[in-house]
Amino acid sequence: MSQDVLVVAEHGQGKFDDITFEMLGAGKALAAQTGGACVVALIGGSDLASQLGAADKVVTVDGEGLENFNPESHSAALAAIVESTSPRVVMIGYTSMGMDLASALSVKADMALAASCLEVQAGDTVTAVSQLYGGKLNVKTDLGAGPCVVSMLAGSSPADAGKGDGAPATETVAAPATDGKVRFVRLIEPEAGDVDITAQDILVAIGRGIGTKDDIEVAEELAEELDAAIAASRPIVDSGWLPKNRQVGKSGVKVTPKVYIALGISGAPEHIEGMKGAATIIAINTDKNAPIFNVAHYGMVEDLFDVCEELTEELQDR
Amino acid sequence: MLGPTERIAFLLLVIVCGGLATHGFLRIARIVRLGKAAERTDGLAGRLINALIDVGLQRTIAKARPLVSLAHGFVFFGFSFYILVNVNDLIEAYVDGWTTIGAGTLAGVFNLLSDLFSVLILIGMLSLLVRRFVAKPKTLEFNSNVLLQAKAAGGGVRRDSLIVGVFILIHVGARWLGTAFHLAHNGHGDPWLPTASVVAQGFAGMSPDTLELAMHICWWLAMGLIMVFLPYFPRSKHLHLMIAPLNLALHKSTPHGELDDVIDASAPGAKTLTDLPWPSLLDSYSCIMCNRCQEVCPAHESGTPLSPAALEINKRYWLNANSSSLLAGGESPMLLDFATSSEAVWSCTTCYACVEICPVGNAPMFDLVEMRRSIVFEGNAPDDLAEVLRSLDEKGNSFGQSARRRAKWTRGLDFKIPDARKQPVEYLWFVGDFASYDPQCQEISRTVARILHAAGVDFGILYEGERSAGNDVRRTGEEGLFEALTEQNVETLAACEFERIFTTDPHTFNALKNEYGDGVTVPVEHYTTLLLRLVESEEIQLGDGSRGKATYHDPCFLGRYNGGFDAPRALIEACGTELVEMPRNREQSFCCGAGGGRIWMKDQDGITERPSDNRIREAMSLGAIDYFVVSCPKDLTMYRDAVKSTGNDGKIEVRDIVEFVADAMGLNDEPGDGAEAIPRAGDEAEAGAAPANG
Amino acid sequence: MNTVVLLKRVPDLVEDLEVDSSGTALDSEHLKLTLNEFDDHALEQALLLKEGGGGEVTAVALDSEDVDKMLFTALAKGADRALKITGTGAVNGTSELAEVFAQALGSVNYDLVLTGVQASDDIDGQLAPTVAAKLSVPCIEVITGVEAGDGSVTVHKEYAGGVLAEFEMTLPGVLGIQAAAQSPRYAPVSKVRQIQDSATLDEVAGAGGDNGKFSIVVMTPPETGEGAQMLESVEELIAVLDSKGVI
Repeated sequence: MSQDVLVVAEHGQGKFDDITFEMLGAGKALAAQTGGACVVALIGGSDLASQLGAADKVVTVDGEGLENFNPESHSAALAAIVESTSPRVVMIGYTSMGMDLASALSVKADMALAASCLEVQAGDTVTAVSQLYGGKLNVKTDLGAGPCVVSMLAGSSPADAGKGDGAPATETVAAPATDGKVRFVRLIEPEAGDVDITAQDILVAIGRGIGTKDDIEVAEELAEELDAAIAASRPIVDSGWLPKNRQVGKSGVKVTPKVYIALGISGAPEHIEGMKGAATIIAINTDKNAPIFNVAHYGMVEDLFDVCEELTEELQDR
Repeated sequence: MLGPTERIAFLLLVIVCGGLATHGFLRIARIVRLGKAAERTDGLAGRLINALIDVGLQRTIAKARPLVSLAHGFVFFGFSFYILVNVNDLIEAYVDGWTTIGAGTLAGVFNLLSDLFSVLILIGMLSLLVRRFVAKPKTLEFNSNVLLQAKAAGGGVRRDSLIVGVFILIHVGARWLGTAFHLAHNGHGDPWLPTASVVAQGFAGMSPDTLELAMHICWWLAMGLIMVFLPYFPRSKHLHLMIAPLNLALHKSTPHGELDDVIDASAPGAKTLTDLPWPSLLDSYSCIMCNRCQEVCPAHESGTPLSPAALEINKRYWLNANSSSLLAGGESPMLLDFATSSEAVWSCTTCYACVEICPVGNAPMFDLVEMRRSIVFEGNAPDDLAEVLRSLDEKGNSFGQSARRRAKWTRGLDFKIPDARKQPVEYLWFVGDFASYDPQCQEISRTVARILHAAGVDFGILYEGERSAGNDVRRTGEEGLFEALTEQNVETLAACEFERIFTTDPHTFNALKNEYGDGVTVPVEHYTTLLLRLVESEEIQLGDGSRGKATYHDPCFLGRYNGGFDAPRALIEACGTELVEMPRNREQSFCCGAGGGRIWMKDQDGITERPSDNRIREAMSLGAIDYFVVSCPKDLTMYRDAVKSTGNDGKIEVRDIVEFVADAMGLNDEPGDGAEAIPRAGDEAEAGAAPANG
Repeated sequence: MNTVVLLKRVPDLVEDLEVDSSGTALDSEHLKLTLNEFDDHALEQALLLKEGGGGEVTAVALDSEDVDKMLFTALAKGADRALKITGTGAVNGTSELAEVFAQALGSVNYDLVLTGVQASDDIDGQLAPTVAAKLSVPCIEVITGVEAGDGSVTVHKEYAGGVLAEFEMTLPGVLGIQAAAQSPRYAPVSKVRQIQDSATLDEVAGAGGDNGKFSIVVMTPPETGEGAQMLESVEELIAVLDSKGVI
């Protein structure tokens, strides 16, 4: 086992996702603690390696069947990289792709794993803080001396720290053969929505705390008055009340408006991941213990229906 | 009067038509017996007597539509008397020389009545026809999204009305004219037959033979037509004149607020027509298709596809078309295919208005509950409802909140409410979900607690031991969950000592009072009843002073279901508030739209006006009113929202009755501002809520 | 196609979560467990597959508080068989849980294993890929659509931004379900009670457990940082909006 930190890059449609740079930044900091190097594992898309200037080294696996993410072949490729680099800590995104890689690696390579991590420290042992129970508790785990896998929450560290203009050495590992049990077929782009919520200055977002479809109406009225767009957390979209293109969070989109008004959103980590970048977050919720108040800049413990109505009226009077 | 050939001809007509009609009636009896069992024949004699009294006094009809009811009264009382007239005319036909004309005073009185009733029937019937075919009231139309059998939608009901209307006009008109011809034949009028005598003058110039022929034609038009019509009756909505009294007699006799138990636990409720209990099938034959139920239905009024009238009409039309195959063992049709839509089933607020208003004793609401039972059992409850039911199952409340936080509202009090699980209390306060969890209602709950505390009442609550009482759960058709909630509450109650139960929520009140069976044996009352008693016994002292002008909304489950009309009104007035009634009050109160689990479901797409908005507009039409007073936590939230959504914010204030009581007791006065002595300290935080007109 | 659904009970987040005196575990006295909502979707998806193309659905869960009711509920919804794994006691993390499930699956004939994409207490990763790795079968996480094929399934995996990737997976295999094609159905209590009286749960003694490779150091509520500045009235809210230049 080396003292290296291996960061598993995530990319799709020809570009890296933010999580790659976030982890690269965090990985460099961690490597400083272990005294090893910060190595990036780049599976498929080796032409993107030039963007990884902040890394100490880039190890790529490429070849047929790796252009698009495939849980089976990418897992096998990652295992090959891990075997060749034998890092102390492997950082994988706590994302749709990362979920397929982290657990599989942990079992196959017999490595300890901590998921949903906000931060990782390395001393004699590696410790990680996981955000669990819907954001209500942080759990600090000891993963032993290593090797271990940590899957990092998106947005847990700044992406800028992972950007640099160095020219890291690149090493290539041969793509291992697989059984071909999982076959990529195609990508399906979401239907273009009426509104692109990622491009809005103001968002009025609604969550499970919204009681009925009527409540959506009052939220919509408020949005109209503020010249804002309506966004939502997953449960609202799952129940068919708003289209998918309005969903903020892990399985939705990431938004960075000037003002984000969260109505009846408790603040599950999956949602916070998508909106924590907003310049000002205002949360209105009847539960004063809702985790959303931890990320919000302003909070109100009130019935959202009442606040919306009153606010809309006040704004109309102005 | 009739010749021998005519006598034989009429007899043959009686045999043929009577036979056909009997066949029709027997067929109806056989159809009705296909329905599931229901206990409706206990104390049959009393039931029949009461029904006859109701019919005789036209009580069920007089509840609404006064002019129409008057016209109907003319026809009804006229036809009741016409039974005698018809008997007389039969005798006249078969007994040579029999006539009541000029046969003494008793016969004279009979003639006078027949003369006057003939005219009244004609006036009544003509008015009804003019109303239906000339005035064309909106109330006889259905929302365009209502499921209606093709024949009914194609004007079947109108045609039926026209046929029977014309039959009545001909039958009665012919009898009346026949008398006039008779008088003309006699050559002089009869003071006992004033109107016929006037008409007879017009026939003065006719020959005796012509007049004789006219009398025969009129007799046949009057009496023959009855026979010709007999076989039509079982297929017509005018069957109501025979079935309605029977249906009224066989009406549900248990409390309004007690739903019948599930008949077959392995397949609860009604999926097909014959899954319905037999009284529901009888309902369809009883229905006169007057749409009164639809007119008072908050769901239809708000533009949903529910029409209780259409439900009965569809059942009837389907049966008219398919009774033979059904009786031959054919498949019973799926209710959702022909009777009403699934969306309509879930639009019902179970407010009981349709049952209350029905002049012929129908109960379409119960059909909808039976259909819900089946839909829920098959796992097809609407998603939004299912989520609430899941919460009620797991957490015992509809708010999806922790059961442990049920009594959190008490933290705002400066005294501790006794825990009825730990100490005996006189009154057990069953608080209910809304009063416990809804932030606006919590404020009201604290006010109730402060009033009772100040009055020195010995009361306690169950804290986190309480579960939803299940009233609305039962009305969504989730019978198993209702049973589970009942069992949990009964178990908790059994371990407590108390003498009476009172509730905040009329829904809770109804369940505990009517649906807990042996589980609750002590008296159950609504807090308005308790508070009024405390006021009357002067345990609560109300100060003087006028407190504005208010109108009061009767909650369905307190008023229409359980007759709690007077205590709330007496309380409001005792608090120095002037009470102005809305047009729809007491039994005719208009539902807020929250009942039957509707409050847990989203508004249907395309509704035109929420019932609560409609109700606030009704209140606003009264002119200058300060308060819209409620006595139900659900009403508080529904109407506060409605005041805002109708743009009446600031013009009328929605208040619970207890807020007036607290004001009148001086509980909300600032300490030391010279108010009357308060028995126990009030809550300073509440001091801002001084009466606007105090 | 025979489907197995792995059901897991997780702390009900509606309740206040309290950490016990050791600081490393939840206070069991105040703990209320409930079915992981994603597992409910997995069950729904399994039932939809059965309704669409036949086969049996087996619901599997570890013995814990109220697990019987949960399994009877699964039967009431339409599962054909319920299997309760007994005698394992508390299980430490996903890895150990996956080991127990993997062992238990040895006695079950299955083509497809479904479970929720994640759970709120997944300290050491997700159940689906962990079980799959232990069974040495393929797995795909974050699935929002499943279609049965011949010896395979075609699935939709969800990425951020609503982009979907379509995959074909040879069976046997495991899927982590994010959302079923429809909301999980409601099992009426009367039906659950009837099933409770008429059906039985199969039981199998739990085996396995690898005690995880991690230990919990401490559990703490998240630091609120500065936390939100609490506003008391709509007027204050308007002032904030004003100061941000949005009105």
